[in-house]
Amino acid sequence: MTLRVFLIAPILVASLAGCVTNHQRYDWGTYDPSLYAYYKDPAKAAEFAESLAAIISAADSHQAQIPPGIYAEYGYLQLQQGKNSAAVELFKQEETRWPESKVFMDRMIKVASTPTAQSSTK
Amino acid sequence: MTPLSKMLIVGALLMLSGCVEAPKRYDYAHFRTEAPRSILIVPVTNKSVDVNAPDYFLATIATPLAERGYYVFPVNMVKSVLSDDGLSDANLVHAGDPRRLGELFGADAVMYISIERWDARYAVLSTAVTVELTYTIKSAHTAQELWSNHQRVVYQPQANGGGGIAGLLANAIVAAIAKAAPNYMPLAHQANNGAINIKGTGLPAGPYDGLFGKDTSDY
Repeated sequence: MTLRVFLIAPILVASLAGCVTNHQRYDWGTYDPSLYAYYKDPAKAAEFAESLAAIISAADSHQAQIPPGIYAEYGYLQLQQGKNSAAVELFKQEETRWPESKVFMDRMIKVASTPTAQSSTK
Repeated sequence: MTPLSKMLIVGALLMLSGCVEAPKRYDYAHFRTEAPRSILIVPVTNKSVDVNAPDYFLATIATPLAERGYYVFPVNMVKSVLSDDGLSDANLVHAGDPRRLGELFGADAVMYISIERWDARYAVLSTAVTVELTYTIKSAHTAQELWSNHQRVVYQPQANGGGGIAGLLANAIVAAIAKAAPNYMPLAHQANNGAINIKGTGLPAGPYDGLFGKDTSDY
């Protein structure tokens, strides 16, 4: 009986593992927990921004795959701090890397390039 | 054969069958016609009493969708931009026309998520933490529903103390801990995985996956 259990237990584990598609296409850094922490405590915006910056620099230096939305997300935080030209650069990077973002990024580049943009983005 | 090993075998068979083929295959006809490349995740509606649940959930959903091969619009930025445009009410956004959102963001498809349950029900000796979600993807070009899925994940802490007073006490302690700080995140991750990554009911591979358009036998 104990032998049987030993034989079956690995099958159980293997079948569980088989359910999960576990390969990682992108290097997410601490994106999920940082965004969660930011939503839990809005004072942690800086930490969320740092996690995004870390993903970008890892992608720049190790050729790691940057996930969709990271340039834009970081750019938007820059825009909220009034760093409009940095924001525009990041929106352009998002658009170059991910053509699907073109309509949205073009619109945000326009917003970030307008002098009155600050008042509408809080 | 002992009852224990019989149970294990049945369990193993159930799990294997659960992975190899899903009970009911989703009808992907509309999804295949549209073959969306990009998905816009809009703010999540909430039927639970936990007001923070939609934001917390939002932090879990971009990763599995992007890993499936789709372009996923930046969820936090989208939420803020919608809010700046007077669309912070998730119920209003869900009731609106997905084609309008498609124009604003240039998205192919919009994903709507509704939190049905997000709670911990406490009993003296056992606690059940439940996360229940409905996922719907609509075309941003035709407003047609392309895909939907429903997930309910229940976590019921079970102490290994066996029977007797010691086991009951251990269960009560685990229940008390779960009540004090239930951790919904692993349940949300499990729900997302169950919705997206199961053959026959999940999402077909997106354009950044090598199987894009080639996995028709599975989806």
